[in-house]
Amino acid sequence: MSCASGSGGGLRHPLRCQKPWDEECEEEAVCVIMCASVKYNIRGPALIPRMKTKHRIYYITLFSIVLLGLIATGMFQFWPHSIESSNDWNVEKRSIRDVPVVRLPADSPIPERGDLSCRMHTCFDVYRCGFNPKNKIKVYIYALKKYVDDFGVSVSNAISREYNELLMAISDSDYYTDDINRACLFVPSIDVLNQNTLRIKETAQALAQLSRWDRGTNHLLFNMLPGGPPDYNTALDVPRDRALLAGGGFSTWTYRQGYDVSIPVYSPLSAEVDLPEKGPGPRQYFLLSSQVGLHPEYREDLEALQVKHGESVLVLDKCTNLSEGVLSVRKRCHKHQVFDYPQVLQEATFCVVLRGARLGQAVLSDVLQAGCVPVVIADSYILPFSEVLDWKRASVVVPEEKMSDVYSILQSIPQRQIEEMQRQARWFWEAYFQSIKAIALATLQIINDRIYPYAAISYEEWNDPPAVKWGSVSNPLFLPLIPPQSQGFTAIVLTYDRVESLFRVITEVSKVPSLSKLLVVWNNQNKNPPEDSLWPKIRVPLKVVRTAENKLSNRFFPYDEIETEAVLAIDDDIIMLTSDELQFGYEVWREFPDRLVGYPGRLHLWDHEMNKWKYESEWTNEVSMVLTGAAFYHKYFNYLYTYKMPGDIKNWVDAHMNCEDIAMNFLVANVTGKAVIKVTPRKKFKCPECTAIDGLSLDQTHMVERSECINKFASVFGTMPLKVVEHRADPVLYKDDFPEKLKSFPNIGSL
Amino acid sequence: MQSWRRRKSLWLALSASWLLLVLLGGFSLLRLALPPRPQPGASQGWPRWLDAELLQSFSQPGELPEDAVSPPQAPHGGSCNWEACFDTSKCRGDGLKVFVYPAVGPISETHRRILASIEGSRFYTFSPAGACLLLLLSLDAQTGECSSMPLQWNRGRNHLVLRLRPAPCPRTFQLGQAMVAEASPTVDSFRPGFDVALPFLPEAHPLRGGAPGQLRQHSPQPGVALLALEEERGGWRTADTGSSACPWDGRCEQDPGPGQTQRQETLPNATFCLISGHRPEAASRFLQALQAGCIPVLLSPRWELPFSEVIDWTKAAIVADERLPLQVLAALQEMSPARVLALRQQTQFLWDAYFSSVEKVIHTTLEVIQDRIFGTSAHPSLLWNSPPGALLALSTFSTSPQDFPFYYLQQGSRPEGRFSALIWVGPPGQPPLKLIQAVAGSQHCAQILVLWSNERPLPSRWPETAVPLTVIDGHRKVSDRFYPYSTIRTDAILSLDARSSLSTSEVDFAFLVWQSFPERMVGFLTSSHFWDEAHGGWGYTAERTNEFSMVLTTAAFYHRYYHTLFTHSLPKALRTVADEAPTCVDVLMNFIVAAVTKLPPIKVPYGKQRQEAAPLAPGVPGPRPKPPAPAPDCINQIAAAFGHMPLLSSRLRLDPVLFKDPVSVQRKKYRSLEKP
Repeated sequence: MSCASGSGGGLRHPLRCQKPWDEECEEEAVCVIMCASVKYNIRGPALIPRMKTKHRIYYITLFSIVLLGLIATGMFQFWPHSIESSNDWNVEKRSIRDVPVVRLPADSPIPERGDLSCRMHTCFDVYRCGFNPKNKIKVYIYALKKYVDDFGVSVSNAISREYNELLMAISDSDYYTDDINRACLFVPSIDVLNQNTLRIKETAQALAQLSRWDRGTNHLLFNMLPGGPPDYNTALDVPRDRALLAGGGFSTWTYRQGYDVSIPVYSPLSAEVDLPEKGPGPRQYFLLSSQVGLHPEYREDLEALQVKHGESVLVLDKCTNLSEGVLSVRKRCHKHQVFDYPQVLQEATFCVVLRGARLGQAVLSDVLQAGCVPVVIADSYILPFSEVLDWKRASVVVPEEKMSDVYSILQSIPQRQIEEMQRQARWFWEAYFQSIKAIALATLQIINDRIYPYAAISYEEWNDPPAVKWGSVSNPLFLPLIPPQSQGFTAIVLTYDRVESLFRVITEVSKVPSLSKLLVVWNNQNKNPPEDSLWPKIRVPLKVVRTAENKLSNRFFPYDEIETEAVLAIDDDIIMLTSDELQFGYEVWREFPDRLVGYPGRLHLWDHEMNKWKYESEWTNEVSMVLTGAAFYHKYFNYLYTYKMPGDIKNWVDAHMNCEDIAMNFLVANVTGKAVIKVTPRKKFKCPECTAIDGLSLDQTHMVERSECINKFASVFGTMPLKVVEHRADPVLYKDDFPEKLKSFPNIGSL
Repeated sequence: MQSWRRRKSLWLALSASWLLLVLLGGFSLLRLALPPRPQPGASQGWPRWLDAELLQSFSQPGELPEDAVSPPQAPHGGSCNWEACFDTSKCRGDGLKVFVYPAVGPISETHRRILASIEGSRFYTFSPAGACLLLLLSLDAQTGECSSMPLQWNRGRNHLVLRLRPAPCPRTFQLGQAMVAEASPTVDSFRPGFDVALPFLPEAHPLRGGAPGQLRQHSPQPGVALLALEEERGGWRTADTGSSACPWDGRCEQDPGPGQTQRQETLPNATFCLISGHRPEAASRFLQALQAGCIPVLLSPRWELPFSEVIDWTKAAIVADERLPLQVLAALQEMSPARVLALRQQTQFLWDAYFSSVEKVIHTTLEVIQDRIFGTSAHPSLLWNSPPGALLALSTFSTSPQDFPFYYLQQGSRPEGRFSALIWVGPPGQPPLKLIQAVAGSQHCAQILVLWSNERPLPSRWPETAVPLTVIDGHRKVSDRFYPYSTIRTDAILSLDARSSLSTSEVDFAFLVWQSFPERMVGFLTSSHFWDEAHGGWGYTAERTNEFSMVLTTAAFYHRYYHTLFTHSLPKALRTVADEAPTCVDVLMNFIVAAVTKLPPIKVPYGKQRQEAAPLAPGVPGPRPKPPAPAPDCINQIAAAFGHMPLLSSRLRLDPVLFKDPVSVQRKKYRSLEKP
């Protein structure tokens, strides 16, 4: 695990990655230090060379003893971890049968039935969540007890494997607190996952006597199988007053939007069967139904589809003639053909998920796992986590009365969309269905997002599969907006001690009509800037900022003095740019405010011999960078450069005193996904008589250094974000056969 | 002596290290010997049960597949949801067809114009029998048209009652199964997925076009107030958020500090706008803030945010709990500039895409319902929530974002590397042999389509080309140039007129430029619009000037999506305008693209500024002789239909990097562009 890749800013999934990577980095750092000290000790004798051999031996013995002793102690220190864990094994690992027994008198209070009008702002006590700088709710879990009635008969079955796992997942997460007074959400350890395994009235009584019950305020119950025969309610029947319900199988009639959480019905097969991901694409069957125990009416409809469309539809049922010992749950049959379940789901493009007695079906999870697109036929069913998950991207919802048309509905979906849905289905399973832990953490995250909405996880983070998250670019300046010309720009001149040249640049730049302020960044700590009276008199405010250290990054600091959005970064020796060229550059920037718009163009190339990137400053037909010795850009990039530069680039640049411009090009291209714009043909910037390329210097070391920068940045960014283009921006009538005096920008130099 | 000292120090070191060893080791031994007791305060978490392996699953294998199945449930208690109360079977085929009940008796001007706007839209149908949605406008209480029950009421099935103002008239008949589109409904009465929440529009809201967002710059100006508060009697004031106490009244009982400014009617310049009151005031403030680019901070709104079914409001507003004011304040103060930037821009996009005019609000409502009917072929969330918005990104074109010109970056994809040339051959009907050769010579050309549209018979022979050449015969209207022909397979289209003249390298370069700007039009010849003071209207000219706002479609690259938009989203009346005055078709196409992208087109160099050569196309002259003035009025007609002037001017041209530079011609890739 490398520290560099961690700090590279990967998009980690918020739910599954609770452990910060820095921790691992720290561990590694510790190891490095230890290893270093060991090396030092081994080389110890060499450090005292003048000693006599006898003493040498003494010292060697001494050091080896000390070393051995220390190592032994160290091992002893680290070893006991397992001993300690065996200690807490003594403490915590109890038998589930040893939990305290609580007797519920028959007349103990019963909570009100669930209040259907509950919303977060009416039934949830948000004050308990208090101020939390980390924007994380704290969850308390009640200790496990066994509840019996007056006759000593147990109220419910023992805690189920899944509920135990669920509580363990919460307990291991960042949400957990064992301090009941700090908790904002309470989770009873009374298992109500399956309503059929409990006695309703007594369970309700057990809930009511919880120490912080208070009408169920801020209590969260998890239920996957609600209702019971004959009419199967779609929400847990246990009276629960104001408690939130994370339920699997809500309908629009029982679901309290923005209060309850709709969760999946966990399929135990998720853990039992390892279905490797199957790539999207056409599969043997177009539509498959794998559910058993369907309502006869539905089965008829499905079989009619099979008759009509033949081979492409497969309707499976329970196997009747299985030999002894074969697990019937894992087999499905069609006539006499036997199929493995859930493997057969991977052979189908679409899989039917029909309502049973309950709306929520565990088969949904199996179907998603197989990368089969679920066709949900269950009117009014609230799909799992529908508050945050965009099910349109992974499923097809068909009204029950349209069941006979399902085939034609599915056929109208373009193949590309089907493939996206298959990918999305599998991703949903991996992220939110595959384990009880995933379900529990997603549920808590949803509630957390409601309480701290300003820190909520975005739609994209919930829904975009990792591949999309990596590939996509979200431009921070996405709004097409041409800033008004009246705003003007702020010129920032970075200078050290070339006062004469600086004054010339100031005088030239001040002639540009749209200049609104001039900022001189005085990067020389040993010398004071010239007195006020010596500076050129210009028509716009001129401000000198003195820096604390001579660092290149000072040029990109988001100074409060910058009041315009447009910034012109200009070196103190760029004296050849004309006022027309600068004004035109600003006009170009207004049309491309999210790009670097600059004058000196450069290129990066792949060196096939050296197998690495190379910096190119020749006059080529292509451009991929503009140097910030003379470039316009949005001031937001100053903020990004100063505070959000990936990896160690900012410090690296300051240490090497080079390549801040290349770093800026990388940063902007990476965050916007767009190329730079080179403006005007100008190629000479410092003096008319300079040689062809008047870059900083022509010598080989300079080029090598710049190439090194490109390679370094490409490795930190993990990609090459620079885009190569073959165009530059000129005034509309540049070099056209047109009267010069009628052109807006006549004074555009040709070199 | 020295050895003594050395030995002494040696012993000292030895004993010291032994002491260390004993200390460290002793502790560990001690810990081993005395197993610690569980401390009451120590963090323990959920215990690891010894017999966890023996626990049973919550559902037994035999139990999950249930045998008893209840029949489909009937709607509960008269309440409605989409499946129960809307009959989609009437909506087969061409999507949503809407019938609007004609007004009874005298109607207001607004009402009449809204009717006209729906009648002009692609959703409209004049027969109630063929409609899948019946729309009942319930606008003005005074006229009393909402008191009568319409004829085809049928218990309200497939009806939408549209109320732009909250409850203008008392309900005189049961709504039954009708959906209600209402301005900011309360959360308690709102049926998610069935009703539609509308914005609360002020009286004077423009019918069409509408004022653009007021944001002039992406990021907040330094020193701008963080928070603006609404006043009880309307108006706003800015608040000083420096103090730790919460600056708004109610819960923190704090005197208005000196930092709070006087109230003002207009919205002050602030980053966030706090909206905590009840509807309808809060709802109208919400819209006001949205337009101003002031990020709305809603404290426990009891009303549904407009179009919340499709719009992801977390991207443009902050909804927080009113009971935690300090926490909200802290969150606002700590919000990262990146988030503020994104929220601000999103307010402007949403305002402009869905709220700035009555027409947009109504079309959005219909689009929301159409999306429900479409199911899987509805707009993906990305299309609703990023520019240009779902009204301009038609889901009938595609449901995959990468097919559109707007989402390449978000999707991590790139425009295709090939284009289709579409050559329009109008009268007199000379086959454009030279042009075909030049275009086919481009390495990026995938196919050539010839639209043969004149009286002359088709030539029997066409030049041999490396790419497939398809001829589509038949006399056509000018607007058919922009029909979305299914034979066009590439993203990019090079639209040409038979009389255009281009060289291969011009085509190559322009296409490379288009790949950098796939959402814009990239053209060779330009014209520009201007405000004609003398006539009090818009005019346009093809004369060469220092700026331009349109490129001529007789030689231009653009994305094929614009054909779909041109044909399917424009009102028919506008396309007729174009057919009657062929030069207007350019204007119309430029209007559409500009209205969608809010950016000017791009001009690339046109190598042969042939002054003696024939004009490129009718009404498209070279610089001299002077062009016949194009029909000046169509631009005004089109602008009126759009409700605003979307065209934007550009002052730049994109040239090859070494274009006309005094360097060796051998270095230049596009040297033929420079030939005189």
